[in-house]
Amino acid sequence: MSPVSDDDVSLPHISDNDLKPFYVLHKASDCQQRVKKPVGRSSRKVKVNLSASLATSDEGEMQDDQLHENSRMKNFHNAWVKIESTIKDVLHNINADVFNEVDSWVHKSFDSICSNGKPDANKATCAYPIVTDVTAKQIFTALVVMNNMEFVDDLQTFADLGTHLQSHGCHVANLSSVDFSVKSGIGGCLRSLLRQILSSSIDVADISVLASWYIEHDNYKHPVVVIIEDMDRCSGPVLSDFILMLSEWVIKIPVILILGVATTLDASKSILTSKAVQHLSPSKFFLGSPADRLDAIIKAVLVKPCSGFLVGHKVAGFIRNCFLRQDGTLTSLVRAVKMALVQHFLMEPLSFAVNGLLDEESEESTSVAEAWPKQAFDLPSCSRRLSEPKSEVALDGPSKMIEVMNLWSCVVLCLHEAGKKQKTTLLDLYYEALDPKLYNLRHSDHLELKPDSQRPSWIQGINGTSSKMQKGGLIGQTTRQVRDLSPAALLQLVEKWSKQTDGFIEIHEKVKELQLQEKIEDDTLKELANRSRRQTIRNSGNLDRSTKTLNDKAAALISCMTRDHMQPIECIPFHEIVCFKNVDKLQAALCGDPRRRIQLDLLECHNFLKCSCCGKSSNAPSSSMHDTTLMYTLAQEHGDLINLHDWYQSFRAIIFQKTVKERHRMKVSPSPKKRKMTAEPQNITEASVQARFCRAVTELQITGLLRMPSKRRPDFVQRVAFGL
Amino acid sequence: MDENDMIDEEEYEFSRNYFLAKESGKSVKKSSAHKVSELNLADEQELRAEVSNIEPKHEKEIALLINSYKKLYNEWVFELRYGFGLLMYGFGSKKTLIEDFASTALTEYNVIVVNGYLQSINLKQVATAMAEVLWDQLKMQLRSASGGTSRDQQPFNSRSMDDLIAFLDEPHKTENECLVCLVIHNIDGPGLRDSDTQHLLARIAACSHVRIVASIDHVNAPLLWDKKMVHVQFNWCWHHVPTFAPYKIEGVFHPLILAHGGTSQSVKTASIVLQSLTPNAQSVFKVLAEHQLAHPDEEGMPIDVLFTSCRELFLVSSLVTLNSHLTEFKDHELVKVRRHSEGQDCLHIPLSKDALEKLVQEMNH
Repeated sequence: MSPVSDDDVSLPHISDNDLKPFYVLHKASDCQQRVKKPVGRSSRKVKVNLSASLATSDEGEMQDDQLHENSRMKNFHNAWVKIESTIKDVLHNINADVFNEVDSWVHKSFDSICSNGKPDANKATCAYPIVTDVTAKQIFTALVVMNNMEFVDDLQTFADLGTHLQSHGCHVANLSSVDFSVKSGIGGCLRSLLRQILSSSIDVADISVLASWYIEHDNYKHPVVVIIEDMDRCSGPVLSDFILMLSEWVIKIPVILILGVATTLDASKSILTSKAVQHLSPSKFFLGSPADRLDAIIKAVLVKPCSGFLVGHKVAGFIRNCFLRQDGTLTSLVRAVKMALVQHFLMEPLSFAVNGLLDEESEESTSVAEAWPKQAFDLPSCSRRLSEPKSEVALDGPSKMIEVMNLWSCVVLCLHEAGKKQKTTLLDLYYEALDPKLYNLRHSDHLELKPDSQRPSWIQGINGTSSKMQKGGLIGQTTRQVRDLSPAALLQLVEKWSKQTDGFIEIHEKVKELQLQEKIEDDTLKELANRSRRQTIRNSGNLDRSTKTLNDKAAALISCMTRDHMQPIECIPFHEIVCFKNVDKLQAALCGDPRRRIQLDLLECHNFLKCSCCGKSSNAPSSSMHDTTLMYTLAQEHGDLINLHDWYQSFRAIIFQKTVKERHRMKVSPSPKKRKMTAEPQNITEASVQARFCRAVTELQITGLLRMPSKRRPDFVQRVAFGL
Repeated sequence: MDENDMIDEEEYEFSRNYFLAKESGKSVKKSSAHKVSELNLADEQELRAEVSNIEPKHEKEIALLINSYKKLYNEWVFELRYGFGLLMYGFGSKKTLIEDFASTALTEYNVIVVNGYLQSINLKQVATAMAEVLWDQLKMQLRSASGGTSRDQQPFNSRSMDDLIAFLDEPHKTENECLVCLVIHNIDGPGLRDSDTQHLLARIAACSHVRIVASIDHVNAPLLWDKKMVHVQFNWCWHHVPTFAPYKIEGVFHPLILAHGGTSQSVKTASIVLQSLTPNAQSVFKVLAEHQLAHPDEEGMPIDVLFTSCRELFLVSSLVTLNSHLTEFKDHELVKVRRHSEGQDCLHIPLSKDALEKLVQEMNH
C-alpha cells in the first residue's frame, strides 16, 4: 500500500553532484498533466496519500479509505482556513482603533505639510528644494509603541497597518531593520523604499527619482508613508542619515514616518544622532498589549470551538508553557496550534468524521452526521463508557458533543469574566478548565452524598486533594472572588453572564433569576437611599447581609455551573476524533532538541540500530559498536580535555580486545556455527585503526561535540557538552 | 511546583557534570602528558587511503533504519505543503535520506539541492537557478492554459537578489501551485554559517513559491536563527532522524586529526577545493602550478610574475582580482606565501612534485 517502492536507499558514494555547490535534482514532473486535471480545491488537496499507516485488505475498503483520506485532508484544510481567518479577524478588531487613529493623524499631518505649499512642477524643477527654515524641515513621525519586546508578533501588525493606510490612499513602504544595516548603508534602505513605492526595480538609489515620480500624475495628492517596523534594531547612523535626507526633501516629498518602538519612547533619542532627532516631530500611539491579544485569540480559537478541532489538557499545558516560559510570542502559539492541527489530521484516522461538525452556522447542521462512524466505537473513550454499568446515557451523537462543548466554553468565559478584575488570564483558566482529573474529582464530590464520616477513607483522600486543588486552583479562586465583589461590580458581572449564557437555557434561566433578585435588591437600595439618613444607618447592617447573600448566590451559581456544565473535552466519549492529545509528538516537531538528542543517539545507538552483535542492555564499549558512538562513549570517561594519545589507546585496545576474545572463543567452542559468526577480519592493521579513529573524530567535530586541538594544546581535544 | 523541581534538578545535574568534568580534566592533565607524536602514526597518504577503505559496520541495520523512515514521507510532504519547513537532525549523514525523499515523494515540485558542507556557496546563483526553474514551469502552465505566448522575461542572472526574491514571492497565479523545493544539506555548514547568509536563506524560504528541506548536524545549530526566522520565515518542523550513516562527503574537508598538522594537503582535497572555484580561478592556479613544475628549484613564483602571465592569458584584468583569487587559495591552504631570499614575496603550492603533476593532470580532464 505504501506509495514508495521498497528499494533500499543505498549508502552514500561521492558523486559529481556532491561537489557542486548546488544542482537541480529534478524539475516538476507532471506539471503538464496537472493543468489538464479539473482544477478545484479538493483535487489539489487530496494528492497526499496517507494510507501507508492503514492496513487494508480488499478493494472496497481501500476505496473507503481513499474517501476517508480525502475528507481528512479537506477537513484539515477547512479547519485551518477557519482558524486562520478567525485569528485575522480578532487581530484586526483589536488593532482597528489604533489603525484609524494613525490614519487620521497621517492625513492631518499631510494637510499641515501641504498648507506650507503644495508640491508642484515648479518646485520640482529647482535643483534643490529651497528650504532654509529649520521648522519647515520637520518630519511628522508616529512612534508606535508595541508594549512588547518581541517584535515577531508585531511584524504582521505593521504589515496590516501598511495595507490599511494603502487602502486609505497613502503611498506606503514597509521597511525593516534589515534595510538599515551598516553594510548596505543608506543606499540599501533607499533602494527598497523606491522599490516598494515605485513598484519597479531601480538601479540608482537616488531620492530625486522619488521626487520626480511624486509630481507625476496624481501622485502628489497623497502622502508618502514610510513604516519602519523595528526601529530599535536599526543601525543608528544609517537611520539618522536617512532621516536627515528625508528632512531635506520634505517639501518636495511630504514623507510621514511611522516607527515601531519595542523598548521605550525615548529609544529614538538614544539611537539617532541629535541632529536627526531635531527633525522629528513625534506623536505617540500605543498598540494593544500582548496579553489582551493572547486572550482574544485563545477565546476565539481554542475556547470557542470555531473549527471542529480542539486540544487536550496536556497539549494546552504545553502551549501554555511555551508561551509563559520559553517564547512569549503569539506567533509561536499560533504555530503550535497549526502544528497540532497538522499532526491531528495526519495521525487520527477517524478525523474524517469531523466533517461539518462544530460549524457555527445552523444551516449547515444538516451536514452533521447523526451518528459517529462504526469504527469510532472502538475508541478508548467510548469503550470505557460502554464497560461502565450505566451505558445508556453515554453514547450520544455529534450534535450532543457540540452541545456539551458549547456549554463548556460558555462556563469558561463566564469564569473569565468573573476573574477579569483579578487579572486572571484566559490561558491559565483555559488550561485548568480542560483538566479531566479536576472534573472527575468535582463530579465524584458531588455525587457522593453520604456524610463525611461514612465515606470510605480513600474517597476522603481524593476529596482532600480535590479541595486542596480547588483552593489553590484558579477556578476555585475565581469562584471565591465572586463572594467579595462589590454590589455594583456584581451587577455588572451578572449582566455579562446573562449576555454570555444567552442561548443556553439551563444556565441562562438561573442567571436571569439572579439578575431579577439583584434588581429587587437594587430597588430597595435606591429606596433606602431616598429615606432619611438615620434609617439608612440603622438598616445598613441589614443591607450588607442581603448583598452578602446575593454574592453567595452568585458564587453558588458559578460553582454549580462549573460542576455541572463544564465538562472538559477529554471526558466526552468520541473526543479522540476532534481532540489532539499527543503532546510529545507536538513538542518534538515544534522544538527539536539537537543538543540532547544527538548525544543520546551516540550514547544509545543500539536503540536505533537494533543489531544483534552489540550488547543489548549495557552501553559497555565493544569493538562491534559503531566507531563514533564507541569513541563518544569513551570520551565520557574524560574530563573537559581529552588527551588524544590516551583516547586513541583506549579506542585501539577495545578494537583489538574483541578480536582476542573471539579467537579465544573460537578455540573453546568447537561448534562450526560459532566459528562462522566470528568471520571478522583478523588482520586489523594499525593504520586502519588510526583511520577509523580519525574519521570518528571528524564526525564528532561535525556534530560540534568536540573542539579541535589548538596551537597551545596540540595533544588535546576539548569536550563541549557535559550531560544531556 | 513539580516541574520547577525537575528543572532545578536538571540544572543541578548539569552543573555537577560540568564541574566533575573540569576536575577530572585537571587530574588527567596532571597524569597524562602523552603526546600524539608518541604514537606510531601512519603517514598521511596511507591514512587517507585507509579512511576511504574503512570497512562499514552495521551496514544492514543502517539501511533498515533509513528505509524505516520511508513510511514518514507522506507526513513530510503534507507538512511541506502546508508551509512548514522540514528540518532533519540526528546523528549520521542524512544526505541520502533527504535526496531519496526528494526524488520519490517530491516529484511534483522542482527540487534544487544545495550542498552546505562545501566551503563556498553563492546564494545568488542558487536563487537565479530557482527563479529559472520556476519560470520554466510557470511559462509551461501559462502556455497550456491560454495557448498564448508568454511575456518576455529579463534574464535572471542579470537581476538583483531583491528582484529574484520578489519574483519567487509573487502570489500564485493559477490554482495549481508551482513550487520550488530547496533542499539544503547542512544548513549549518561552513559555507552557510554566517548570519547574512542565514538571513538571506530565511528570506528565500519565506517566499510563496519556495519550500525548504534542510539538515543540521551541529548540536548548536539552532543558535543561527532568531525568532523571526524560526517562527515566521523558516517555520521549522523538526524531525529527529538519526541514520548513523558515515559522513563521507561532509567530512572530506576536515583535516585528519592524526595527520601531521595538515601541512601537506593531498591531491584529492586540493582538487575538490579547486572544483568549487570559478574557472578563472582554476586557470590562475594552473599557471602557478605549471610554473612551479617548470622551475622546481626556485622558492616560488613572485606575485608580479604571476600577474603578468595571467594578464597575458586574459585571466585577470587587475591586481585586485588576482589578489581576491589568491586570498581564496590561501584560505583553502592551496597556496603558501614565502619570503624569497631577496626579500620578495613568493607563492608556493605546498605539494610534492608528483602530487602536483597529478593535480594538474586531473584539472586538465
